[in-house]
Amino acid sequence: MNFFKYILIILFFFFSSISISSEKNINLELKIFKNLRCLICQGQSIYDSQSDFAESMKLVVRQKLELGMSENEIYSFLEDQYGEWILYDPKFNNKTYFLWILPFLMFLFGALLILRKLGVFKK
Amino acid sequence: MILNYIGSYSLLFSLLISAIIFLISIFSIQNKKESIRNLNKLFFFQFFLVLISFLSLIILFVISEFSNTTVFNNSHTNKPLLYKISGTWGNHEGSLILWLMILTFFVFIYFLKSNTRPIRERLFTIVFQEIIIIGFSIFLLKTSNPFNQVIPTPDQGLGLNPILQDPILAIHPPVLYLGYVSTSLIFSSALASLICLNVNREWASFIKNWIFVSWIFLTLGILLGSIWAYYELGWGGFWFWDPVENISLMPWLCLTALLHCTLVLEKRSSLGSWTIILSIVSFTLSVCGTFLVRSGILNSVHTFANDPDRGVYILIFLFFLIFSSLIIYFLYQDKIISNKDHFNFLSKESSILINNWFVMYFLSVVLIGTIYPIFLEVLSNEKISVGPPFFNKLIIPFLIPFLIFMAIGPNLKWIKAKKFKIPIRLSILLFINLVIAFLVLKIFDEVTLKLTLLLTASFYLFFITFKDLIKKEYKNISQTISHFGFSLLILSIILNSFLSKEIITNLKVGDEINFQENIIKFKKIESSFSSNYQSLIGYFEINNKHLFTPEVRIYDQPEVITSEADIKTNLFKDRFLVINLVKDNDYLNVRYQEKPLMIWIWLSTILITIGGSLSFIKKYEK
Repeated sequence: MNFFKYILIILFFFFSSISISSEKNINLELKIFKNLRCLICQGQSIYDSQSDFAESMKLVVRQKLELGMSENEIYSFLEDQYGEWILYDPKFNNKTYFLWILPFLMFLFGALLILRKLGVFKK
Repeated sequence: MILNYIGSYSLLFSLLISAIIFLISIFSIQNKKESIRNLNKLFFFQFFLVLISFLSLIILFVISEFSNTTVFNNSHTNKPLLYKISGTWGNHEGSLILWLMILTFFVFIYFLKSNTRPIRERLFTIVFQEIIIIGFSIFLLKTSNPFNQVIPTPDQGLGLNPILQDPILAIHPPVLYLGYVSTSLIFSSALASLICLNVNREWASFIKNWIFVSWIFLTLGILLGSIWAYYELGWGGFWFWDPVENISLMPWLCLTALLHCTLVLEKRSSLGSWTIILSIVSFTLSVCGTFLVRSGILNSVHTFANDPDRGVYILIFLFFLIFSSLIIYFLYQDKIISNKDHFNFLSKESSILINNWFVMYFLSVVLIGTIYPIFLEVLSNEKISVGPPFFNKLIIPFLIPFLIFMAIGPNLKWIKAKKFKIPIRLSILLFINLVIAFLVLKIFDEVTLKLTLLLTASFYLFFITFKDLIKKEYKNISQTISHFGFSLLILSIILNSFLSKEIITNLKVGDEINFQENIIKFKKIESSFSSNYQSLIGYFEINNKHLFTPEVRIYDQPEVITSEADIKTNLFKDRFLVINLVKDNDYLNVRYQEKPLMIWIWLSTILITIGGSLSFIKKYEK
C-alpha cells in the first residue's frame, strides 16, 4: 500500500513539473505584456489594457515568441519601433544614469549621517 | 440659483475671517498677549462658512442644478444619489473645497486641543496655518471657483466618469485628504516650535498625536484606493507603481519615518532637527500630491482633472512654502537644544535611525522614479517610462535587511542594550526561517535566491513580531500590533505575488476550459438595464459549484465601457473572474485568476491602523 502511495507521489511531482514547464511559456508572455506600456492609454501596460493597440501588441509579442525570439530581443525590437517610452523597465544608459544611481547615493549619504551619529568618526 | 451665491460669498467671508485671524495672531505675538481664548469663535466661523459653502455645493449636486458649472461638468440626472453626492469631490473644484474645509476644521481642533502648549508657539502655528488657508482660499476663488454659472442653464449635465461611480471611491478622497491635510498642522507646529525654541520632549509627545492622525488616515486612504483598483480597474492587481499611487505613498513613507523619529525626540531629546525636516517634507509631499495629481503633469489613469494653469499657481505656492520654511529652518536650527551624545549601536534609538535610513531610501526611490521621467522630458524631450520593474529592482534587495532590522530593533533597550545575549538565538531562528522559506519555495518550484532571502526575512519578522505580540503583555500594544500587521502584510504580498495563477482566453457561450484543477464553464449571457447603464452579465460555473457573474457595463453619460469583476473571497484565496468585449466578435475575452491570501493584504493593513489607533486609547487610560 505504502509503495503505491510513494509511486503516486512521485508521479504527481513528475506530472506537475511537466505542467509547470509548459506553463513557463505563458508566464513569460504575461511577464512581457506587463513590462510594455500601452502607448495610447493613460498609464496602463498592454497586459492591463483592452485597447486595439494593446491587443495588436499582444499578437506581435506572441508571434515573436513563436519565432523563438528571446525576451530581451523582443524588447529591443519594440524599442526600435516605438522608442524607449514603451519599456516599463528603463535601460541603464546616458539618459538614465541619475535615475539608477541617485537612490544609491542617497543611501550612502544616509549611511554617513548615521555613522556620524553613532560616533564612528570621533574616536 | 441662490445657493451659488451663498456658496461663493461664504467662501469669501471665510477668507476675510482667515485674514482677521492672521492679523490678530501677528498682533498678539508682537504684544506678547497672555490669553487667546477669544479666537475660538473666529476659528469656528472660519470653518462654519467653508462648511456652508461645501454643503451648498453638495445640495447643488443633489438637486442637479446645471446652472452651476461644476455640477454641469460632473453630474447627470440619471446618476444614483450616492454618486451625485460623491461627485461633489470627484472633481478638481469640489475636492479643493473639501481640502479647505478639512484645513479649517483641523485648525479649529488644534486650537481646542493645544492648551498645554505655550501661547507664543500656538500663535505662530496659527500664523503658518492661516497662510496656508489663505493661499488655498485665494487659489480656490481665483482659479477654480466651484460656483461659476453657466448661462443659459443646460438641460442635462455631462456626467461623472463611471469608474468613479463606486462606493469605495466615494469615500476614498475624503479619507485620503484627512491624512494629507493634517500634515499641514505638523508642518506649522514644527516651524512654530522651531522659532519658539521648543523642539523638545514635550513638543514631541504633543505632535505625536497629530502624526498618528495623519498617518492613520493616509494608511486607510491608500488602502481604500488600493481595494478599489483591485476590483474596479479589472486587472486583478492592487498596486501598480502608478505615479498617482506613488504620490500618496511618499508622504506615508515620510510620516512613517517621522513617527519613529519623534519617539527618539520624546525619549532621548535627540534628532530634533531631523524631526523638523521630516515634518516639513511630509507636508511638502502632501501638497505636491495635490499639485501633481491635479495639474495633469502625470500620465496616469488617475488624472481625471487636467488643467495646467492651476498647476502653476500651486507650484508657485509650493515654492513659497518650501523656501520660507527652509529659511526659517536655517535661521533657527542651530538653536535646537539637543542631546549631543552619540548613540550606542545596540540601542533602540540606533535601530530607529536605521529604520529612518531605509524608509528614506525607499522614499527617494519612489520620488526619483516618479519625477525623473518628467524632468527628462522637460529638459531633453526624451520620453522614458519608469514602471514596476524599476521599483522592484531597487526596493526588494533593501527590503530584506530592513525586515530583519525591524524584527530585532523593537527588542532593544533605549540608550544601551545591557547584555546582548540574543544574537545566537536570533541567528538560529534566522537559519530555521531560511530552511522554511526554501522548502516552501521548493514545493511551488519557485526557488530563486532573491525570493528565498526575501521570504526568509519576512518569515523571520512574522515569527518575531508574533512572539512579541503574545509575550509582551500589552506593554507596547500599539507598536506590537502595527509591526505584526506589517509583517503579515509583507508576507501576504510576497506569497500572493508568486502563488497567483491566471488564465486569459476567449470563450463563447457553452465553451468549457480546464485551468489547473478547475473547469470553467461559460453557461449563458444576459443583458439588463439600469438607470444610467446597460449591462451584459456572463454566467460562469467553476467546478460545477461556484457561480460567477462578471459584468460589462456600458454607461451612457459619458459613454464608457467598464468591466465589473466577480470576486469570490475566502481566507485562503480570491477567485477573480472578469470579462471584456472583443470588437466584432461573438466571443468574450475571459480572464480568470486565483490570488492567494488576498484578503490578508487588506486585513493586515487594517491591523496596522488599529495598532496606530490604540496609541490614543492608551493615552486616555493614563
